[in-house]
Amino acid sequence: MHDFSLMLATFTAPISIGTDPASMLWMFPLLGAITLIYKATKMRVLLWKRFVTESLILFATVSGFMIAAVIVLNLITWLITS
Amino acid sequence: MSKRSSADQGLWLIIVGLAAWVIPGAGHFLLRERKRAIIIFITITALFLTGLYVGSIGIVNHETSKPWFMAQVLYSPAVGILSQKVTVGYLDADGNQQEYTSFGHPCDIGQLYTGVAGLLNLLCIFSAVYMAYCGRGEMIGAEEETEHA
Repeated sequence: MHDFSLMLATFTAPISIGTDPASMLWMFPLLGAITLIYKATKMRVLLWKRFVTESLILFATVSGFMIAAVIVLNLITWLITS
Repeated sequence: MSKRSSADQGLWLIIVGLAAWVIPGAGHFLLRERKRAIIIFITITALFLTGLYVGSIGIVNHETSKPWFMAQVLYSPAVGILSQKVTVGYLDADGNQQEYTSFGHPCDIGQLYTGVAGLLNLLCIFSAVYMAYCGRGEMIGAEEETEHA
């Protein structure tokens, strides 16, 4: 009971997250969840191996494009400000 | 399987939609799409709980953050009960009324996670109702089950 109360207590105060670039890593679990749900609703017949493979490919593709966008935007900012 | 009358079909669609809203994945479970149901339940619940863990339950508040609440409540009607508790607050050790608060970056991330969890569940509700409308659970769900039996 004490452990359960402690577990519930962790949900009553926010955790500490900085505003540094590392906090952008929080987008990946969100992206992973969106990928899994998208594939789970989209695939006509759901077979585990195919589901995992297609989800990983989609996750890698979207992550790749997002990282590329970050690099391009940083380059543009660097060119403008330098 | 016998064909349902249009009244039964309408009722069935409502039941599937409501089940999918009350418990994420339950709509697909009713349609015998058990693998989909497990994936949906685990993923959306994990996302929602992560959001609550990051931003605290203070991020679910129908008075101070109504637009986010409208997305969050799509996860389950239980979110409405949680929001009610949050707005009431709690008594501290000295007996003073306190509020559950959340602000800054953790609040943003928590709201984003819980809001997206709700919107993803809306997608799953539409998916389950559409599958029920097309009779998908009777065909594909059985097809998947027999393939691995």
